[in-house]
Amino acid sequence: MKVRFKFSKHGVLKYIGHLDLMRYFQKAFRRTDIEVLYSKGFSPHMIMSFAQPLGVGVESDGEYFDVEVADEEDISTMVAKLNEQMAEGVVILDVVKLPEKFTNAMASVAAADYELNFYKESPLSTALLDKYKAADAVTFVKTTKTGEHIINVKEFVFDIALKDDATLFVTVDASSAGNLKPANLLEALLKLEDKSVADYPFHILRKDTYMRDASGNLVPLNKVDYE
Amino acid sequence: MMQYTALPEEVLMSIEKPERYIGHEINAVYKDKNKIAVRFGMCFPDVYEIGMSHLGIAILYDMFNKFEDTWCERIYSPWVDLDKVMRERNIPLFTIESQEPVKNLDFLGITLQYEMCYTNILQVLDLSGIPLISTERTWDDPIVIGGGPCSYNPEPIADFFDLFYIGEGETRYRELLDVYKASRAAGESRDEFLHKAAKIPGMYVPRLYEPEYNEDFTLKAFKPLYDDIPTKILKELVTDLDDTYYPEKPVVPFMKVTQDRVVLEIMRGCIRGCRFCQAGQIYRPVRERSVEFLKDKAEKLLKNTGHEEISLSSLSSSDYTHIEELVRFLIDDCTKKKVNIALPSLRIDQFSVDVMEKVQDVKKSSLTFAPEAGSQRMRNIINKGLTEEDIINGAVLAFKGGWTKVKLYFMLGLPFEKEEDIEGIAKLCNSIAAAFYEAIPKEKRVNGRVNITASTSFFIPKPFTPFQWAVMDTPDDFIRKAGLTKHYIHEQLNQKVIRYIWHEADVSMLEGVLARGDRRLSRVILSAYKKGCIYDAWSEFYKHDAWLESFKECDVDPDFYMYRERKDDELFPWDFIDCGVSKAHLLREWKRAKEGIVTDNCRTRCSGCGSARFDCGICINGR
Ligand code: SF4
Ligand code: SF4
Repeated sequence: MKVRFKFSKHGVLKYIGHLDLMRYFQKAFRRTDIEVLYSKGFSPHMIMSFAQPLGVGVESDGEYFDVEVADEEDISTMVAKLNEQMAEGVVILDVVKLPEKFTNAMASVAAADYELNFYKESPLSTALLDKYKAADAVTFVKTTKTGEHIINVKEFVFDIALKDDATLFVTVDASSAGNLKPANLLEALLKLEDKSVADYPFHILRKDTYMRDASGNLVPLNKVDYE
Repeated sequence: MMQYTALPEEVLMSIEKPERYIGHEINAVYKDKNKIAVRFGMCFPDVYEIGMSHLGIAILYDMFNKFEDTWCERIYSPWVDLDKVMRERNIPLFTIESQEPVKNLDFLGITLQYEMCYTNILQVLDLSGIPLISTERTWDDPIVIGGGPCSYNPEPIADFFDLFYIGEGETRYRELLDVYKASRAAGESRDEFLHKAAKIPGMYVPRLYEPEYNEDFTLKAFKPLYDDIPTKILKELVTDLDDTYYPEKPVVPFMKVTQDRVVLEIMRGCIRGCRFCQAGQIYRPVRERSVEFLKDKAEKLLKNTGHEEISLSSLSSSDYTHIEELVRFLIDDCTKKKVNIALPSLRIDQFSVDVMEKVQDVKKSSLTFAPEAGSQRMRNIINKGLTEEDIINGAVLAFKGGWTKVKLYFMLGLPFEKEEDIEGIAKLCNSIAAAFYEAIPKEKRVNGRVNITASTSFFIPKPFTPFQWAVMDTPDDFIRKAGLTKHYIHEQLNQKVIRYIWHEADVSMLEGVLARGDRRLSRVILSAYKKGCIYDAWSEFYKHDAWLESFKECDVDPDFYMYRERKDDELFPWDFIDCGVSKAHLLREWKRAKEGIVTDNCRTRCSGCGSARFDCGICINGR
């Protein structure tokens, strides 16, 4: 049986990188009596799939991973059992059963929304946002193995709004093909006013992670349609 | 929820691996500091991943935290990137748990696992804002106490410590903490406390002892300053390893540390008396834990950590009486739980090859032998009870089991070494390769051919070994001998399948000086630290020239410690410690080494080393 967990990650655990977080969950499961299924082969490992990895330093209210457990496991007790094994800062929020052949968490991800908060001086303003909306292209340079690419963030932003003077709310592409990191979005945005992100320390909170439902709407990864 | 970190966010985001510094790992112990009488900081003076892998600290952390009146927290050396930031921004060194300054603690315990960490001790003290020299400290500073293998010769770092604990930590800390509490309650001075502490068995307070030197700087006398302080300090040890502290819920780090697994210590000590080996002497006598104890701990530890691997730990696991029963149990239990088993330090024989086939991926893994010397003559000198036949037979068994990779460890620069002994290294490697081709028909050779890696380290004489009298080789000797080894390997018929690697010589020189050093070296270490030496154990940070300058500035000759023939009756700086094995026994062994006479191991025949007075372990039940 495949199940999908939703969890939040706050506090100092935001400094734990993605690979270590995966190891952390594997060990956590081994401390419970939930029977997780393993791959075959000489060094068997748990069959797990994480949605879009969270950057170091980013907190989140909506993270997901899939894991395969024994069919006879009781889904109603799983959240409590796993929560007993969590370090302070990670909370398991929900678990849902996945239909057979359901796309795994990693491949499902379409978007994520973030709250970006400037805790010292804020470079945000309605004027800046207007500039963003008026511009054809708002860009940053992405360096990859194949060289430098100019990325127009507007192609990857689904929604952008000022919450208050210091807080920006965005919904962006988070699919594995088109993932836009919020820090890169800010970099591109501030460049419109010749400012550098390095001068304005900010926090990032991922609010939730989304997939597309049958009609193409963004829904949280745990809102599984069983139809 | 806000979790406090000593380091501000922008610092944590700008350094490598911030996970090293944030705490809150699974099973980390948090207590209310207002309800605590003693705050103890347990420091491993190296980076987190190394320090977190150390079983001894895990044992003491668990023990201290079982004391209701005590909170034990962990401290590690900040990595070089953070070290720089902390100095620039005046951020004091903090503990992992409370993230509070180390200076707020009552005790700072520092484990001394290798000599090359000595400048890191100064880094820890300095970043904590604790005066580096013991006599300059006040009650505003924690009591700085050292322990671990290097405290068997604490003299080079005597100036930096208030106290050393000689021997195994489980036995006397409770007493020490009680004396401390009483002393503080009575409003006594730091000196008064240290004087009382010096009377607790196993405790050494360096400032209460005074060395007197001969003109040539050898020791003339080493005496306590007061009549009520012992002249000799007998090491502490646990007599019953089934009736003592053993952590059932060790801390599980977030990041991948060196030992990312459950570690099961099956016994302490070693029945073999290899003459170069300090561990083989200072942990005598061999004491085993019972299989029942170990089975119980293994299950609890796997359950409480969620680790996917378990490893046995001891100096020589094959010598554990119930090794087969224990390993069979683990294989059964762990296969069910999908847990890997690591079996380091198993001798290669039919049993170990059988079990290794079950627990390792034969094609990928390699087999390890530590003959330490290439010729039988030299193996007799060092008392390594391993013959060429043993090695070849073991290798053939392994080849038949499908292994094709063999690693061999040797030492260069052993006492009485001749060129033929070095050539012996090459010949032995060649014989193993030949044995492969002979034992395995062509069509059955898994990877086509055999791979042999010979690696040599340079011999460093250590205190409390029969070789403590030995003259050490110079770096030039070492390099010449490594060259000779290479040359002889190239001469072998099967040289194509033999790879040779050797360790650097400069670092070995410094280790050689510090290992058998005296109190005069404290100044040199301080000077090297002031020149920027830290992380000397990491070759990329080791600054040989800075060390050489420091010796010169302090007018201390490093050659004195390495290249001097020591007389049989020389008084050594560490002789005030009684590790159980008598100096008479060590000297007898040194003489037997010269003649190439082998001494039996404890199980075959007791050689009367002196440890029987502890009245435990193999000395009373072994033979
Ligand atoms: S077998 Fe020899 S080298 Fe190994 S721990 Fe024992 S005495 Fe030391
Ligand atoms: S007294 Fe004998 S049996 Fe005991 S440790 Fe020494 S040599 Fe071994």
